[in-house]
Amino acid sequence: MGNCLKRSAADDISLLRGGNEPTRESSADPLGPPLYSEIIQPVFYPSPSVSRPASHLTEEEQVKIAKRIGLIQHLPIGSYDGCSKKSRECVICMVEFSVEEAVRYLPCMHIYHVSCIDDWLMRSLTCPSCMEPVDAALLTTYETT
Amino acid sequence: MSLVSKMESKSSATSPSERRLHKELLALIKEPPPGVKVDVDSVGKNLQEWKINIDGVEGTLYEGEHFQLLFKFNNKYPFDSPEVTFIGSNIPVHPHVYSNGHICLSILTDDWSPALSVQSVCLSISSMLSSCREKKRPPDNTLYVKTCNKNPKKTKWWYHDDTV
Ligand SMILES: [Zn+2]
Ligand SMILES: [Zn+2]
Repeated sequence: MGNCLKRSAADDISLLRGGNEPTRESSADPLGPPLYSEIIQPVFYPSPSVSRPASHLTEEEQVKIAKRIGLIQHLPIGSYDGCSKKSRECVICMVEFSVEEAVRYLPCMHIYHVSCIDDWLMRSLTCPSCMEPVDAALLTTYETT
Repeated sequence: MSLVSKMESKSSATSPSERRLHKELLALIKEPPPGVKVDVDSVGKNLQEWKINIDGVEGTLYEGEHFQLLFKFNNKYPFDSPEVTFIGSNIPVHPHVYSNGHICLSILTDDWSPALSVQSVCLSISSMLSSCREKKRPPDNTLYVKTCNKNPKKTKWWYHDDTV
């Protein structure tokens, strides 16, 4: 068999018992695929050293990742103004920012290309330059404002 | 010099990971930190595996010794840390260096950040050696070397405290 089994009708259970056991992945999610699967590439890092395709995440990990995406999207994006006081290159790709280029600001005010830092934040919510935890810093900002 | 210019011209049409490796390589060739020398021949063959020679620092227990590090990068570098081991005939005798070349250093796994670089890793390893006060192997060396994975990044390190 191997086709998706719906778990809607209770009387299907007798059939299942007699036949093939459904695998965990094949049980259809009534809510459909999670929203973020279309926004971000399908491999996730529930913790920095663990990478998994979206379909293999536990529910807890999915919640964690959805929260993380929400948090990342709250970090401000600005355009690089060429100001000499700020870093001139993105330390992740080591390419210099060009004026007007979109950069993301972390709470510690370190800046990175949006795509560079978002890739990293999906693995670890820390600033690569100063190791400041991004979520803790955000929380304190919310509390004081 | 021809290799450098070849790389400079090549660096436009590649992946972000390769582009960054090219940049780091050029910087290491042009302005190497003292006692650190990249083996350009090894990199010329394969950009994802670098051999780097480092010298024991003068006035430390490793003065006059020469070591070689092997860096292996995957295509997710710098998001993934490089795999770094000592190779060759002289593996430093140090409480955080196993006799198979594996290094117990947190920036190589848990504390990796994409702001770190080949150069900063080399300098960290060099200063780890320099601060050593007694040349000896890690206490669990024999067991570890027998049982470990070939890739040190697969080891679940619990980091020895930093006071060597
Ligand atoms: Zn960048
Ligand atoms: Zn920072």
